[in-house]
Amino acid sequence: MRLHRRSFMGLMLAMSTTPRAFAQSDDSLAYFRRAKINWRQAEGQPLALGMNKHPFTESLLPLIPEFKELTGINLDYLILPENEYFTRLAADLSQKQGEFSVIMTGPMRNWQYVTPGWIDELDPFLKDPKLTDPAWYKLDDFIPGLLSANRWSGKIGAGVGEGPLYSIPVMAEGYILHYRKDIFDQYNIKVPTTIDEMAEAARLVKKHAGIAGIVARGTPNVAALATGYISGLKSYTGGEWSEIDSNMRANLHDPQAVKYTETYIDMIRESGPPNWANLQWYDAMESFAAGQAGMLGDADIFAATFEDPKRSKVAGKVGYALIPGGSGGKTIAGLWTWALGINKAAKNKTAAWLFIQWATSQRTLLRATLNYRNLNPTRTSVTTDPRVKEMIGSWGGGSYVETTKKNFETARIAWVPQPERTRLRDIRARAHHAIYFKRMSAADALKKASADLDRVLKDAGIRP
Amino acid sequence: MGNNIQRRRAQRRRSRVVLPYVLMAPAIVLLVGMVYPFAVGAYYSLTSYWLQYPQRFRFVWFDNYIELLEEPLFSQALKFTLGFTLVAVVVQVGLGIAAALFLHGRVPGRSTLRAMMLMPLMIPPVITALMWKIMMASTNAGILNHLLSYIGLGPINWFGATEAAMVSILIIDTWGNLPFVALILLGGLQALPTEPYEAARVDGAGAWDIFRFITLPLLAPFIVLVATFRTMDSLRIFDVIYATTVGGPNDATTNLHIMAYQYSFQWYQLGRGMAQGMVLLLLVVVISYLLMRMWDRAAERTPK
Amino acid sequence: MSTQASARSRLSRSAAIAVGAFILVAWTVFPFLWILLTSLKSPTDIVAVPPTFTFTPTLNNYIALLFGDQSGGGVSTTRPDFPRFFVNSVIISVGAIALSVLVGIPAAYALARFDFPLKGALAFIFMSFRFVPFIVFVVPLYLIYQRVGLHNTHLGLILAYQLISLPFTIWLLRSFFMEIPVEIQEAAAIDGCSWLGVLTRVILPLSLPGLAVTVILGFMFCWNAFNYPLMLAGRNTFPVTVGAIQFISYEQVLWGQMAAATIISALPQLILSLMVQKYIVRGLTMGAVK
Repeated sequence: MRLHRRSFMGLMLAMSTTPRAFAQSDDSLAYFRRAKINWRQAEGQPLALGMNKHPFTESLLPLIPEFKELTGINLDYLILPENEYFTRLAADLSQKQGEFSVIMTGPMRNWQYVTPGWIDELDPFLKDPKLTDPAWYKLDDFIPGLLSANRWSGKIGAGVGEGPLYSIPVMAEGYILHYRKDIFDQYNIKVPTTIDEMAEAARLVKKHAGIAGIVARGTPNVAALATGYISGLKSYTGGEWSEIDSNMRANLHDPQAVKYTETYIDMIRESGPPNWANLQWYDAMESFAAGQAGMLGDADIFAATFEDPKRSKVAGKVGYALIPGGSGGKTIAGLWTWALGINKAAKNKTAAWLFIQWATSQRTLLRATLNYRNLNPTRTSVTTDPRVKEMIGSWGGGSYVETTKKNFETARIAWVPQPERTRLRDIRARAHHAIYFKRMSAADALKKASADLDRVLKDAGIRP
Repeated sequence: MGNNIQRRRAQRRRSRVVLPYVLMAPAIVLLVGMVYPFAVGAYYSLTSYWLQYPQRFRFVWFDNYIELLEEPLFSQALKFTLGFTLVAVVVQVGLGIAAALFLHGRVPGRSTLRAMMLMPLMIPPVITALMWKIMMASTNAGILNHLLSYIGLGPINWFGATEAAMVSILIIDTWGNLPFVALILLGGLQALPTEPYEAARVDGAGAWDIFRFITLPLLAPFIVLVATFRTMDSLRIFDVIYATTVGGPNDATTNLHIMAYQYSFQWYQLGRGMAQGMVLLLLVVVISYLLMRMWDRAAERTPK
Repeated sequence: MSTQASARSRLSRSAAIAVGAFILVAWTVFPFLWILLTSLKSPTDIVAVPPTFTFTPTLNNYIALLFGDQSGGGVSTTRPDFPRFFVNSVIISVGAIALSVLVGIPAAYALARFDFPLKGALAFIFMSFRFVPFIVFVVPLYLIYQRVGLHNTHLGLILAYQLISLPFTIWLLRSFFMEIPVEIQEAAAIDGCSWLGVLTRVILPLSLPGLAVTVILGFMFCWNAFNYPLMLAGRNTFPVTVGAIQFISYEQVLWGQMAAATIISALPQLILSLMVQKYIVRGLTMGAVK
């Protein structure tokens, strides 16, 4: 009985928090109805979403009744954790069954899906006056770099940012250095600007504070290495190096890459947690949040956890800085956006587009950020909203906002567009494990990784 | 009258020919439903099916199988599959015998203990693995390492080092399956005849001798049976590894099933993945066939 | 002297038994205990270093699990999908084992009591489906299900679960039926019973405990299945096993709710098995050996 009452009260509370930021839902409908399109043109049609378990997804769920009221579309959804989600998605896309009409994807995933023709170009939807009111939707409100990251010419090895738009970004993450400001201050440790300084800082934190100097993702799957490591390597080489050269030959064993990787893995082995090789992204994040590590070079959005005293022991103690650059001091970090796209086999594409337009509208995205901390926003109007600024402005003594802003000025998709990105990631992870466990030297391991990747690219017909 | 009986006999004879098929019919219908997807899978294993390159789909005969011989991960996965199975079966049957003997003895609260033993069987393996993963956190944040520190041990790097990860998988698998082994063996012990024991007691045999020369031989068919079951399942173990190490670190816990999963669902090379699945199936069938024959022989040897 | 020695040996025997019982209980129960404690902890207590046994218990994880996150403006919420997952698990597992038993009884009867060509082959083929790694089935099944509309349906999963429960059911029931002396069956036949009469009036009543065991074990295997529903089910049909991994979110892992889900999803099986544990042990062995 008491349970019921508490949950009921909670429900009331939850209902009352939404209108705190926004007026009644009628107003919300009025906002959408200002668009000069017929929202009810797909009335009564079913629509299925395939979504990754993500704050953005969570933010949409309570708003679904509003969407149904606005459009009369029968919305259904499937939410799975990232790994399982992509497995199910690949099954659906490849069998062309159209189980999910709207999918959650991103630039690197698009490279896999565009080549076999699994996803739709979105430009025709944007240009059709019956489907989109450009003056209301304001595509140019999206941060240009994030939007263009979702464009691709379809030419393997080049053309990111060119050609058709395949998905609309709903959140972006860049990679920055999270560090324990309190420890760094206490022991006079310098915030690192090169990989060598980083290794030194890690050593000092471990020596003085008795915790791991650095923590990082280490499992051989789940985008394990596409974040801090690759951002550091890109920066180390001043953006010159890429993992595949212009002739589509693997270049993982480039001498600079070998040197950087060696330093990086040595640092992890020496000053990192002993179980690095089994750390998922959330293990790394939680260990930092529990105050068990001095540094973490990873997604900036983890700050939402670190700065939440309910879930973190280090709230208010974290500093944010750019990933250490190379000798030139320039940092070029990697970038990822979660984005919404349309399955080519979808049956109700009008309904799908209406949903995307609604879900990526200024109002919906702002609500996602304010109520569910969907970071980082992809629309300028959300970034500059005073309530958003108030929410994240104090993080790291203001260094969070400053750092992410600076990071996004140079951050870019750090990868060569090609459909075998997942494979590349796994091959590289295996090389890292071989180096970490001292089964091979860095040079040999990366050379083998290059050879393995070359073989895959050849098998796939990407390279003759 | 006699005519009637004859007619009924004829009817029964006829029905004895047709009846079993009628009885089996629904099961056979379902069987066909199972064979069809299996056949599709087998067919894929002979093709170059790679999800994201549909235009490159062709029939390649046994190329995928031949490729395997050149795949370094395959020999590693095969070694781990077989090695893990061997160790797991030996450990689990050994501990199972000990637990069964213990529960068979005069222990207060025996039925409670037995009921309790059933509990791990009730937890889905994937949840068991997640549960243990929480407890096996490598730093002192994990409860197991924390408890070990009281007796001056650890911290153990449960999943972070290659050998430790293999052992951790073994522990989790053992927790989930030991009850099954122990309970079957316990049932076996309870079904054993009492005469040989009485005779031994009269002869004044020691406890070890009784175990070695009476219990063990009598229990042999049961042991072979649980060993067969555990072998079949250990060769195919998936959920536990998937939920903890996903095959790492450094591929130390990658078995054939995990490898086939990676090829199929992570890299979308369905042709290769299915071929690996078929190799695993072949392995399971051959090994369990050998064990079954062993069981037949053990059962024959046992005095009734 | 000798009484002293025997007293000492009795004492050491009791000590050994106590140690043995302690190890057995600790090994089996501790993980449950820890998960139970975890399910009663707040997020900060869960990540506390070192782990703590003393904390203020909270029912928030259970509330969140059953009614959705009620923390008010929380960052990551869960929808109250779990009760539905639970119901799905029940529907699919009960349906699957019911179908298996319905189909399995006549098949097992035929395999136990009749001689016919192909009998050995059929028995072997049925059994060998227990060997097949799921990976070989799941992709073709996905494809077929999408085409014929069985995808994301309870019926589809019940059919797919036959891969798990049917071979097992037939094999176990067959062993139980073979237990029953042929003489009893013949006596019934002479009395004028048809095969159906023999089955329903003699065989089934006599193997009722065995049937119960088959049902419970089959139910358990179905309840524990993870891979088939992961690929073949959808939001409306997911069972608790797939539900359990949904607590891994993009930004955090809801360990507390995952623990609560573990406890709740183990309950029906625990209750069921404790009620009939005597039969399970007997049934396991009876079926296993013959």
